[in-house]
Amino acid sequence: MHKQERNWLIVLVVVFLIFNIITLSTLVPWQEWLLWSKPTPSQQVKIEIANYTMQFPADPIQVKKGEYVEFIATSQDVTYGFGVFRQDGTMVFQMQVLPGHENKLLWKFDAAGNYTVRSTEYSGPRHSEMVYPDKILVTQ
Amino acid sequence: MTSIGWTQKWTLRFAVVGMLFLALSGFEGLLMRTTSYDQDALHGMEVALNAIRPLAKEPTTAELFYSMLTAHPVVGIYGYVYLCVMGAFYFLVPFLLGKEIKHKKLVPVNFFLQIGGVMLCWVAGFFALFNALYTLYWPLPVSYDRVPLIGSILFVIGAAAIMVNILLFSYNIFSTVLSKNGNQPYSIWQFLRAALGISRLMKWLGKEDKKAPNLDYNGLPVFLVSVARGSVDTVINAIVLLTAGGLILVYGLAALFGSPLNPAVIDALIYKNWFWWGLDMVADGNVLIYTAGVWYLLIPLLVGRELFGANMVKTVIMVDLLVSLGVWSHHLLGDQPQPMWMRLLSGQFITWGEFFTMGLTIFASMMTIWLARPVKLTAPLKFVLGSIFGFIMGGTAGLIQANTGLNLVFHNTTWVVGLHAHTFLLTGVGTLIFGIIYALLPMLTKLEFRSTKLVDIHFWLWMVGATGMAYVSGRAGSLGMLRRTLYEGTTIYSPYLLIAIFFGIVLALGLVAFLVNFIYTLGWKAVLGLFLPEKWLEPKQSAAAAPAQAEIAET
Repeated sequence: MHKQERNWLIVLVVVFLIFNIITLSTLVPWQEWLLWSKPTPSQQVKIEIANYTMQFPADPIQVKKGEYVEFIATSQDVTYGFGVFRQDGTMVFQMQVLPGHENKLLWKFDAAGNYTVRSTEYSGPRHSEMVYPDKILVTQ
Repeated sequence: MTSIGWTQKWTLRFAVVGMLFLALSGFEGLLMRTTSYDQDALHGMEVALNAIRPLAKEPTTAELFYSMLTAHPVVGIYGYVYLCVMGAFYFLVPFLLGKEIKHKKLVPVNFFLQIGGVMLCWVAGFFALFNALYTLYWPLPVSYDRVPLIGSILFVIGAAAIMVNILLFSYNIFSTVLSKNGNQPYSIWQFLRAALGISRLMKWLGKEDKKAPNLDYNGLPVFLVSVARGSVDTVINAIVLLTAGGLILVYGLAALFGSPLNPAVIDALIYKNWFWWGLDMVADGNVLIYTAGVWYLLIPLLVGRELFGANMVKTVIMVDLLVSLGVWSHHLLGDQPQPMWMRLLSGQFITWGEFFTMGLTIFASMMTIWLARPVKLTAPLKFVLGSIFGFIMGGTAGLIQANTGLNLVFHNTTWVVGLHAHTFLLTGVGTLIFGIIYALLPMLTKLEFRSTKLVDIHFWLWMVGATGMAYVSGRAGSLGMLRRTLYEGTTIYSPYLLIAIFFGIVLALGLVAFLVNFIYTLGWKAVLGLFLPEKWLEPKQSAAAAPAQAEIAET
């Protein structure tokens, strides 16, 4: 191995370590509860999906800011997505919803307000219709 | 009059049709972006085209959009990229080995079967509105309340034809390398050892078997080792996709004959793992390693210096096989039932293995150029450098999304498809394919491209168009814009779509500059002569009135 190759390899290793340490740490906020602390949720929200339609337990789903809520999504037919979006269209989080499985994701909202739910995975030509504005209300 | 051989002519045929598929794929891309910007913009065209579609009821704009989205990657990857790769390898492999292609009859078979398979998939989308997308997530392709049954059957037959064809191509390449009618016969064991990196691994462990010499050290060009290594992934990819296609076909035929099967019998998560394990071999296996192989071949030729760090390169080729076999879970980071250890190990850490293999590959390539200074920036070298830029940009975007934390907000957004996938395919692979054509055309036809100005225009329009389009898509994705989604009732991403359309047109103009130069160099007659009988192209005007242009006759 040439000296330059060795030095370059060291650079690659350093970049690898820095990037992965940062993104696995709590500097990415949700890694704190998804990867490390895994707290018990104070609330569970079950969403059932079938025939391009999401069924929610309440309208809107009320969640308290700073509390852990577990979203459990199931599909009766094909693969969908469960995504939560802010009012400006930016994404808060998402997960795939596989049929035949319980798809669970723990979340802690850090800002009060109304959030839109949308299917984030293509499920057929009517996929684009699966939008539910203001379906989650996060309170102080 | 320029005379070219049988192999050269076939290589040009593959390249020309590949470019037509690129143009078709790009046109589809522009149409889909236009529809995304304004769903009524293409209504007139939809109505006109519906007249030739044998459908019982008029399709919705969404049905047309998603069926086009299903055909688009098949046309782009298996039409454009694969045809160009086949054409290039059918020339380069025999050329480097000083041998004939082992099974010459398979060359036209590969040509027509690939075109037929791709067109059947396209027909399944255009006429039968098959819309399950290329990912074919179970059980969507067999959910006949959402996707048309006939379209599903046509699509998987087309896809199966493509996969069988790829296996035939790989067989022919392996057979050619292993054939004993040249100066460098290799046994299948030797070749596989080189392809799998076993001989190199044994040498590393100090256990080299002299009866099965390490080909890496005995003259097998690095490019051919890369072709062999990449072909292992190609074969795995084809076999896995064939099994998935076979499954869909069985369900389709059962439904067609009135005995529908229960899709729930197949576990969606296991299917998704299996499918992505195979499908990912295209992106993270053969694309990367074929590309690396071409860099290893072209760069030393273009700069007149041997490859820097050839030993390291050979190790990289070996390691990359292990990496490509284990990275598929980065496509399942959004699937919570996928065990976390698999998402971390396969989806994130092993995927970072590509950072090392591609990082070292790019380093060896750039060092070779650097140490060869002063270097003449020829057309192929410019495009090779452009492709390296594309792989750095697309690879970086890929590593950001292949992360258990960040994937939560990047998964299925236009970041993935724009900044990662299209950058890999257009700026990375696409630019490299142009570099290969610029390098090979003089070897194939003894003609130089006529206009260097058009080469430069092509380069800059292509690079600016591809990079701009990818960046805008990436930016929109980072703000939450989903891919595979025809937005209704929202305009928040419209500015990004409009800018992406602009850069898409710039990209298309780059392709036009290339095609004009290509035809200007070869002449219309020569290009048409690749496909039409010579007697159809007999000159009817006097020699004095005929424009001066190159002619190609097969020898």
